[in-house]
Amino acid sequence: MENVLEIKNLCKKYDNFELKNITFNLPKGMIMGFIGENGAGKTTTIKAILDIIKSYSGEIKIFGLDNRKDDKDIKEDIGVVLDDMFFPEILTPNDISNTMKGIYKNWDSKMFNDYLKEFSLLPNKQIKTFSKGMRKKLEIATALSHHPKLLILDEPTSGLDPVARAEVIDIFQSFIEKDDCSILLSSHITTDLEHIADYIIFINNGEIVLSKTTNELLDKYGIVKCTEKEFKTINKNDYVKYKKTKYEYEVLVENKKDFKAKYNISVIDKITLDDLMVLMIKGEE
Amino acid sequence: MIGFIKKDLAMIKSNFKLLGVLIVVYAIMGLMGKMDISFILPFMCVMIMISSFSYDNYNKWDAYSISLPNGRKSNVKSKYITTILMTFIVSVITIILSFIISYVNTKTINYEQILVTMFGTIFGTLLVLTVMYPIIYKFGVEKARIGIFLLVFGIVIIGSLLANYLDLSNVLKSFAFLEDYLIIILIIVAIIMVYGSYKISEKIFSKKEF
Repeated sequence: MENVLEIKNLCKKYDNFELKNITFNLPKGMIMGFIGENGAGKTTTIKAILDIIKSYSGEIKIFGLDNRKDDKDIKEDIGVVLDDMFFPEILTPNDISNTMKGIYKNWDSKMFNDYLKEFSLLPNKQIKTFSKGMRKKLEIATALSHHPKLLILDEPTSGLDPVARAEVIDIFQSFIEKDDCSILLSSHITTDLEHIADYIIFINNGEIVLSKTTNELLDKYGIVKCTEKEFKTINKNDYVKYKKTKYEYEVLVENKKDFKAKYNISVIDKITLDDLMVLMIKGEE
Repeated sequence: MIGFIKKDLAMIKSNFKLLGVLIVVYAIMGLMGKMDISFILPFMCVMIMISSFSYDNYNKWDAYSISLPNGRKSNVKSKYITTILMTFIVSVITIILSFIISYVNTKTINYEQILVTMFGTIFGTLLVLTVMYPIIYKFGVEKARIGIFLLVFGIVIIGSLLANYLDLSNVLKSFAFLEDYLIIILIIVAIIMVYGSYKISEKIFSKKEF
């Protein structure tokens, strides 16, 4: 399968944080969910992909090209939504369209205006008059309106209400269905990812701790809920992490079926990405 | 790159009214034979551009601009081009107005004095740009404001010390032979200054991380 994004051994060191050997591929036509708690390294990884940070080691290829050497060609085909980074707020959506017309070869003013209508954004209003959700929608409209082949989205649904989130998720879905486009999507709202992501990459403390297809994760992984007595019968090799709550033990297992066959513990819940994140980060080994 | 210039022009269009008002005030004061404020106009252009850095900074435009095609280079180039373009247009308007005012008031046009005043003003304006922009790209607009204050303060102190200890009139006399070429020298020095400043800013921004 052709990869639109390939990251190999990406390392970046700060005084109090380190990105360690980040390696993953995003295949063409797929949506990759990028999850992890605040400060885990999601935005740093995205910034390295886009060359916003420079002094890192490792290799990043986009559309098979080096992200730094072939910067200009690559970026013609990338659409981005970045957390808290955008046009100055004294500009209007019309100003953005005029600007982008002079930046992207494929800027589609009609498509941009259609998105503005769809999102009920007034083209002549300054960005500073928009609510947080409206700004996010404008950022998404801007990212989509030059027919990119790859979308890199850092928290694109933050600040949106559930209806707007569903609307935006639908747009992302139709985006990848159109021309075999791909999306790298970092989000705290993991329920969105459960619906649309084909792959999940979980980053914790600057390291990738999990990289699986969404189906594999949600179908195979499970949370065993048991008493302390039952927990003590479980072999350490048969679970990933566990957490002791007030009344029971929550145990993260990699394969629900195998676990069920081996142990006589009946309560095994389906996992959500939120559960997975909490147990992976806060759980004990 | 054109897009980046359009964005900068769109940002400063709200200041066009202020510039318009200043031009009208200048014309009225000039026609009434009052104070000559022509020197303020080109200088205002750089001040307006510097305020555009504050808006960029507030919404982290610099980081976002890097995600756009050729963003690192275009970001810097567009700021210099827009500033020079604005300064040039406002200077031309001011020169034409000065000619008119001079003709209305005295029935003659003092070409030399007007041009020397304007070239001096443009030179001063570009000097500010030359010093400020690399500092802004390196340290941000807030620190750059302090920087320019210290720079002006330093020049005044050094200037007054030199005036106290040296006989400046003799120094100036030894450069008197350059007087005939003053405008050409100012233009050449300005071009070298601005180009050098642009190259420094470009280098700073090419390595900048956000």
